[in-house]
Amino acid sequence: MNLVIFIFIVLLGFTSYYFGRKKAYSIQATNTRLTALPQFYGYYLAIWCAIPAFIIYSLWAIFEPSIVKLIILSDYSNQGYLDDELNLIYEKTKSLSRGQFSGEITTYLETSAEKYLNLRSIAQNSKVVLILAIIIASIVYGYKRISSNNRTREPVEKFLNTVLFTASLAAILTTIGIVFSLIFQTIDFFKVIPLFDFIFGTHWYPAKAFVRDASEPLDPSMYSDTFGAVPIFAGTFFIALIAMCVAIPIGLMSGIYLAEYASTKVRQYAKPLIEILAGIPTVVYGFFAALTVGPFLKDIGTAMGLEVSAESALAAGGVMGIMIIPFISSLSDDVITSVPQSLRDGSYAMGATKSETIKKVIFPAALPGIVGSILLGVSRAVGETMIVVMASGLAANLTFNPLESTSTITAQIVVILIGDQAFGDPKTQAAFALGMTLFLVTLSLNIFALRVVKKYREKYE
Amino acid sequence: MIKINSKNVDVFYGKKQALFNINLDIEENQVTALIGPSGCGKSTFLRCLNRMNDVIDICRVKGQIIINDFDINDKSCDVVRLREKIGMVFQKPNPFPKTIYENISYGPTIHGMAQSKNEMDEIVENSLKKAALWEEVKDRLHEPGTGLSGGQQQRLCIARAISVKPEVILMDEPCSALDPIATAQIEELIDELKKDHTIIIVTHSMAQAARVSQNTGFFHLGELIEHGSTDKIFKNPENKRTQDYITGRFG
Repeated sequence: MNLVIFIFIVLLGFTSYYFGRKKAYSIQATNTRLTALPQFYGYYLAIWCAIPAFIIYSLWAIFEPSIVKLIILSDYSNQGYLDDELNLIYEKTKSLSRGQFSGEITTYLETSAEKYLNLRSIAQNSKVVLILAIIIASIVYGYKRISSNNRTREPVEKFLNTVLFTASLAAILTTIGIVFSLIFQTIDFFKVIPLFDFIFGTHWYPAKAFVRDASEPLDPSMYSDTFGAVPIFAGTFFIALIAMCVAIPIGLMSGIYLAEYASTKVRQYAKPLIEILAGIPTVVYGFFAALTVGPFLKDIGTAMGLEVSAESALAAGGVMGIMIIPFISSLSDDVITSVPQSLRDGSYAMGATKSETIKKVIFPAALPGIVGSILLGVSRAVGETMIVVMASGLAANLTFNPLESTSTITAQIVVILIGDQAFGDPKTQAAFALGMTLFLVTLSLNIFALRVVKKYREKYE
Repeated sequence: MIKINSKNVDVFYGKKQALFNINLDIEENQVTALIGPSGCGKSTFLRCLNRMNDVIDICRVKGQIIINDFDINDKSCDVVRLREKIGMVFQKPNPFPKTIYENISYGPTIHGMAQSKNEMDEIVENSLKKAALWEEVKDRLHEPGTGLSGGQQQRLCIARAISVKPEVILMDEPCSALDPIATAQIEELIDELKKDHTIIIVTHSMAQAARVSQNTGFFHLGELIEHGSTDKIFKNPENKRTQDYITGRFG
């Protein structure tokens, strides 16, 4: 039913576009000059037709359930039920009305279910009538307003402006929402676990928190030495460092090759091929690292007499680096290509060779963009989860030996939140605290890097 | 005295031929102007003289260009040395996004011309003085070159070109992006520079060619129609097409 109303509104919108334009044409036919092109009159009428209807439709959708619930539960008021119990009664009523209720059916419930169905159908019908009335009223109003001296261009442009603004607002609000959802859980976490223990503790063992009996009251002292984040922060940056050691040189050099040395033909094929790397799902990289690279490194290490874990930081970091190569190479290729040819000509005309030109003129000019691409790579490396989960193990060892296994923030969040978890439990909240810290760290990294770039950028105009 | 001697120069962009059998001699320590309508090949010829056409993938150059008894199109020619001897100034000022000082020291550094900081300072100062820019920038040598005005930027590019003491300076419409005052300054500078350098200038302005040059070559549709002393070309051209172009009947 809702879908039908929706389609109906859309269809009416298209029709009113047609009629609005037609009226504008007919005004034009009488040799009257319009204040806007005819299609603006069409858009104008379509907006008048659709927008009020959609607003009413959404308001209805938001408020109908709570109003229906209020009416149903008013029968149960003054009977001493708790809020939770009232909610349960309402849920039972709803499932009974759908015929899906399998519990004990009381007469109370039956009357409520009947009443519920009744209310729903009344609501549905009045919604349809109301929306129809509004559409007709607004179309008539809009159609009447179409005349030669009525301004339509401005309202239509303003409407588009509002739509675009709303879209960007949605993105910003989502970000703010995510930050807030992190903040509250994080604050709750630090009420139990002291901040100091979290930041400077060197022992991360959240499994200890699993064994708590939920019926017993929370005892913060049992969590001492459980949530020390140093090993996983160290692991995160260590693996990211290995990844960037692979990705920056290879990515940058292939970017420079593509932009400056490769012939048009090579570039035409090589660039998409490198970009294919970016399209491989990280889980595929994950099992490549876990099943191919890890054992391979172990074999080599054993042959050389080294002790190599099958799940090593080197395997995860190395494969992660390969994953990041296309970001750096493709982006730095783009920024290098966008350095004006006149700068290259100027340098060549001075007798500089290709490599001198690249090193002394092009690279400095492209530096802000190159740093940007590296930053993007770093944030990918810090945020990458799947490869680490699969290839570097889940034990949070505090180690800087690339041949041992270690774990990262993201992998630990997975460990914590996988399967069943209790909300309001320090173990679950630890994930939020980790997420928050990760967010703060990457944010300050970005701000710092932007400052560096601003200071050293060489502007070309 | 002849500085550059070009024989049967043909240039191709892919399959399209851009220059046909150019034979042109350039006199030492004089200004030679190359004129002609857009697309006639005068800039292409200019870029042959320091092998800048090498940068363009599809461009091929045939024939001989002899400078100091040496064919620059020969395989044994070292392009780095060649471009040290033959400097170039472009149509649009293209200072590097570096400081004024670094813009000038760029060439001498590449060619290892200064042994010490003092020597480099001297080269920078002399080049800027010769380009008549020293007085304007001496207090801000370490500010970006891109912050200068258009005319100053072009003089900076000229200073950059003369920093490596080239024998020849090629100028590709050096004033086309400048206002009349900046243009007058550059023209004055060209007159000054010809004492030490041989100058070849491509220009769209016939008045400019008449003002600054001693010799002129007229290009049309990839051919060198006529060349000789500027006086003769402007007052008494032999070819009808030259006359038509000079008097503004086409172009």
